[in-house]
Amino acid sequence: MTDSPLLLQELLRKTASGDSAAFAELYKQTAGKLFGVAIRIAGRGEVAEDALQECFVLVWQRAADYDPMRGAAMSWLIAIMRNCTIDRLRRRATRPEGHATTEEALSRLAAPDTASKGIELRALKDCLGELDEQPRQAVLLAYLYGLTREELAARLAVPVGTVKSWIRRSLDRLRRCLDR
Amino acid sequence: MNYDSPELREQLAAEYVLGTMPALVRRRFERLLAGDAALRRAVEDWHARFDPIDHGAMAEEPPARVWRGVERELALPRPAAQAGWFSSLAFWRGATLAAAAVAAAAIVYVAVRPTPQATVVAVLSDDKGEPGWIATSSGRGGDVDIAPVRQVAIDATHAFELWAIAEGKPRPLGLLQPAPGRKLAVEAALVPANGVLAVSLEPAGGSPTGLPTGPVEYKGAVLPRD
Repeated sequence: MTDSPLLLQELLRKTASGDSAAFAELYKQTAGKLFGVAIRIAGRGEVAEDALQECFVLVWQRAADYDPMRGAAMSWLIAIMRNCTIDRLRRRATRPEGHATTEEALSRLAAPDTASKGIELRALKDCLGELDEQPRQAVLLAYLYGLTREELAARLAVPVGTVKSWIRRSLDRLRRCLDR
Repeated sequence: MNYDSPELREQLAAEYVLGTMPALVRRRFERLLAGDAALRRAVEDWHARFDPIDHGAMAEEPPARVWRGVERELALPRPAAQAGWFSSLAFWRGATLAAAAVAAAAIVYVAVRPTPQATVVAVLSDDKGEPGWIATSSGRGGDVDIAPVRQVAIDATHAFELWAIAEGKPRPLGLLQPAPGRKLAVEAALVPANGVLAVSLEPAGGSPTGLPTGPVEYKGAVLPRD
């Protein structure tokens, strides 16, 4: 997979003007990574596949909304992919089990597709490292695997109210750490 | 809730991105987002804080049926002078029409018993190929009626919304009542000749954005008219 942010941006711009060949090329370039995100959250199977399909339907319909000044094309695509996956996951009663630990998941990450995202990943890991162990687990389990508050409470053996306040405080600390 | 509080706005944006909001709160927040550019920016900022994790996700080759599904759902125009990879589009469109025609024949026979002269415009099936809705026309210039072919359960907080999709752009046609005997009449001119009819699951009252916000539960190609 080639990962040229400028190329993706160009493909999105053409997609917005109704160029279906550019759209097909955009799919070829990005569907693999996006599918990887969907699989990590929803597990292998129907949910991840349906979410990927829905994601690209939305990309075609909303390509004109992408604003290059606000971030990389890949980031825009990832946000849509995550939303589609989580929405579909929430409508299912059953969920994938047996996730890798958050530490394993983080250590298994490939180098991000751009150097700047690599630097940001290091900063994110550093700031996550400043959180207490259990609140950090709650934040990471939610982001990596799409766990709900209730699932987090069960997994970490604490009341839902505790999970809520951990997350609230952790997100606040993370923001202050990352923005400084 | 006071959505003007900066702390609360920041907190909601963060939890939306983290994905921990319950489904209903998520939907309500998305409706709020649609009309609040500053809140959308707060969400984008939170995505940017966390997404280095996803930029590092391991790529996995998706099965070919995913792209075919995208093409089918959007009824994409076939790119000119493209061979090979793109030629699958024509094949799949043909296959969809054929499958829809077979399904249509079966349904008309066993389930609907259309009035004389009614022609089938489209059969809208779920992702397992089970027909859920049938669109029929009773003659030239008349309305197209969309009726359920079976009872479909839906809760009071959701609605089925009908869309016409032509050249990949959806256009809302109205809300459907999933009870036998209830039908939605749509002006025939709003049903695109080479397009797709689709039904998405939306919040009660329909999509707040004018575009489908929920999953497409049923869809079917508009059959060629003579």
